[in-house]
Amino acid sequence: MRLIIRDDEHAASMYVANYVVERIKAFQPTAEHPFVLGLPTGSSPLGVYEILASKYKAGEISFENVVTFNMDEYVGLPRDDPNSYHSFMWKHFFSHVNIHPSNVHILDGNAPNPEAECAAYEDAIKAAGGIDLFLAGIGDDGHIAFNEPGSSLASRTRVKTLAYDTILANSRFFGDDLNRVPRMALTVGVQTILEAREVVVIILGARKALALQKCIEQGVNHMWSLSSLQLHPHPMIVVDEDATLELQVKTVKYFKSIEMVAREQGFEQILPSRVRTGNVPIPETKIQKVKSTPILAPEPIASHLLRASPIDGYSSRSVSPDLVPDRMASRIPEPKLNGRLTPNPEHHMRVNAVGA
Amino acid sequence: MPMAVSPTRPQNGLTKFTNCRLLKNDALVDGDLWVSSVSGKVIDSQVSFYDELVLPDKIVDLGGRILAPGLIECQLNGAFGFNFSTLLDDMSEYGEKLQEVNRLMVQTGVTSYIPTITSQRPEMYQKTLPFLGPSGDHRKAEDGAESLGAHCEGPFLSPTKNGVHNVDVLIQAESIEDLQRCYGADNMTGSGDGKLPIKMITAAPERGRMMDLIPELTSRGIIYSIGHSEATYEEASQAVGKGATMITHLFNAMRPLHHRNPGIFGVLGKAESLPRPYFGIISDGIHLHPTTIKIAYNSHPDGFILVTDAMHLVGLADGSYPWTNGEHTCNIIKKGSKLLLEGSETIAGSSITLLECVNNFLQWTGTSIPQALGAVTSTPAAMLGLQGVKGTLDAGADADLVVLSDETVGGCHRLVLDEVWKFGQPVFRAEQSHVKSY
Ligand SMILES: [Zn+2]
Repeated sequence: MRLIIRDDEHAASMYVANYVVERIKAFQPTAEHPFVLGLPTGSSPLGVYEILASKYKAGEISFENVVTFNMDEYVGLPRDDPNSYHSFMWKHFFSHVNIHPSNVHILDGNAPNPEAECAAYEDAIKAAGGIDLFLAGIGDDGHIAFNEPGSSLASRTRVKTLAYDTILANSRFFGDDLNRVPRMALTVGVQTILEAREVVVIILGARKALALQKCIEQGVNHMWSLSSLQLHPHPMIVVDEDATLELQVKTVKYFKSIEMVAREQGFEQILPSRVRTGNVPIPETKIQKVKSTPILAPEPIASHLLRASPIDGYSSRSVSPDLVPDRMASRIPEPKLNGRLTPNPEHHMRVNAVGA
Repeated sequence: MPMAVSPTRPQNGLTKFTNCRLLKNDALVDGDLWVSSVSGKVIDSQVSFYDELVLPDKIVDLGGRILAPGLIECQLNGAFGFNFSTLLDDMSEYGEKLQEVNRLMVQTGVTSYIPTITSQRPEMYQKTLPFLGPSGDHRKAEDGAESLGAHCEGPFLSPTKNGVHNVDVLIQAESIEDLQRCYGADNMTGSGDGKLPIKMITAAPERGRMMDLIPELTSRGIIYSIGHSEATYEEASQAVGKGATMITHLFNAMRPLHHRNPGIFGVLGKAESLPRPYFGIISDGIHLHPTTIKIAYNSHPDGFILVTDAMHLVGLADGSYPWTNGEHTCNIIKKGSKLLLEGSETIAGSSITLLECVNNFLQWTGTSIPQALGAVTSTPAAMLGLQGVKGTLDAGADADLVVLSDETVGGCHRLVLDEVWKFGQPVFRAEQSHVKSY
């Protein structure tokens, strides 16, 4: 897990936008071998979309050979309703760049057979070669896409009933009228997201601070579906200072120190070449059982069905030494019990600098 | 900007304007606009993207300039040397001259208009109106400005408010047949397909039985406009009650506002719970004092329409020009935008362009650009019953557009015409335009 902390929303958005641009450029996508990008809606990614659009307009990036898959869409809301995610994506991103509509995929919330629509969506992702980078945001309760608390971490694209909290939160877009808020949505599953070769999550603001804390400092838990990211080989979370309010100071310092060292050493996110670059000969498909994950998971975590599966794709040089979670006792705010500092940043820096 | 067009994809005639300030309702809104040269209309870009799976062939970056609907002129007597009230030995020549005027007029930013015939003998109406009817389904960008139907200003006018109209030809109507005998029955009896040659008639309601004929006219889809009239406030109110929805060049050729009888102007006062009519205003600095214009605007901004009432001399150089008015021939002296009958101080119409009227209005009243442009786009469209078709950038409307730069001169806004588009195609570009197209 990489946690990138920036001073404010704009700096965090800028980091993510730059990262996406660099990834697409390094990939050198072509019509035959496009870059496949997963996309979120909501307030968190707005800044990222704005910066991506301005980079397109400045000629820094083209989306001509980028294929997109959106996370979710309401059921029963007209496609062109101002609150639909089709409208959101058009307004905030697609209308400003050169992405071709035939490369755009958004779940059809008005499909006659929603289950079939979901199955076809999974197939379409597979047919596109899997998702290279899934960009995500989270809800206040740590949900990713519409995978709300209690969602199976093995879930796939499906019809989902929205949690009351979500309906409440979304009513602000529907004239504060609860009855107008759709009750159901189609959404990619947690597993669908985890199968992406890379997942980048942007989390902004104090409202999300508790969710971030649960997902970073605590274990994998279906009540905080973002925490499933701990099972992914290449997750990155980018946050602003406000979102770190619930984190321990030492957690924040720890991740900041890692980033600093990584930057000094000239490597940040190190991805295996097959994840990094699209235009390489397609590696032979190897079906392997998951060996490395020590964490209980209902299904093998990352896709071994997909080409270039990230399962054996851990980089040989790990940027972040694993965070050793401290004992719960150490979180009790008594100076005596907080004496132990784990991990020891200096130690890790040294290890990192020489040991790679 | 990077690749805007993929050379491998089939052309679809779509143009996207980006980086523009769009005239939307009462505001200038940053945004994009998609138009189609195939349908000639403004496109709902989101629907086009998700349903048709298309991207525009062409992207036009306006660099932050204004994109507004093309201007609509509701009172124009002729232009570029051609008087619409003209009989020619070979009337097919009339059609050719009209086409030439249309192509030149579109270069002034006027994309559609109501050609006006002043008070004339019946023969004039019957021979010219078939040429002046709405262009309708032709929809050819290269034809230039488009007629939305003719405006017959007269001859059912008050002889004491004739202005420059020839008193000898003024008549009064007792029945709808009298009107048909004058204009030609075919020109005012349509099949309801909106192709009626006559769109609007200006008449004095107090003359003959005109007051009672108003409902018959409006039921045929003809707009009744009060003008060149001695009507009192009471008579004007009655005309509005009968269906009059417009006042021709407010203040000119009518009784002035008197505090004990407000005259025609009084119907803008929202009395009698009647709907208030639209009204034309000539802001050429000669017909009306700027303050008068301000008062008229403030009394009913949603009805305020800027018109030029320009004569055929608009677009020509200063000098003395012969003018045939019925049987009389006299000279008109053109000096700038001022037109006077030779040897008199009588105003003989104007020779101002519509955009100059907009700029005068901006300068004199300090109103906002969207409000000033509304007076030559959305308001005339509403008056003509063409909401959603003309005078708006909403999806489904005709893609008649002007690109405008705004300068600030002495603290006032001034608009400069850079480009004109008709039915989704470029038809005019000013020489020093800074449009980037790729
Ligand atoms: Zn007149």
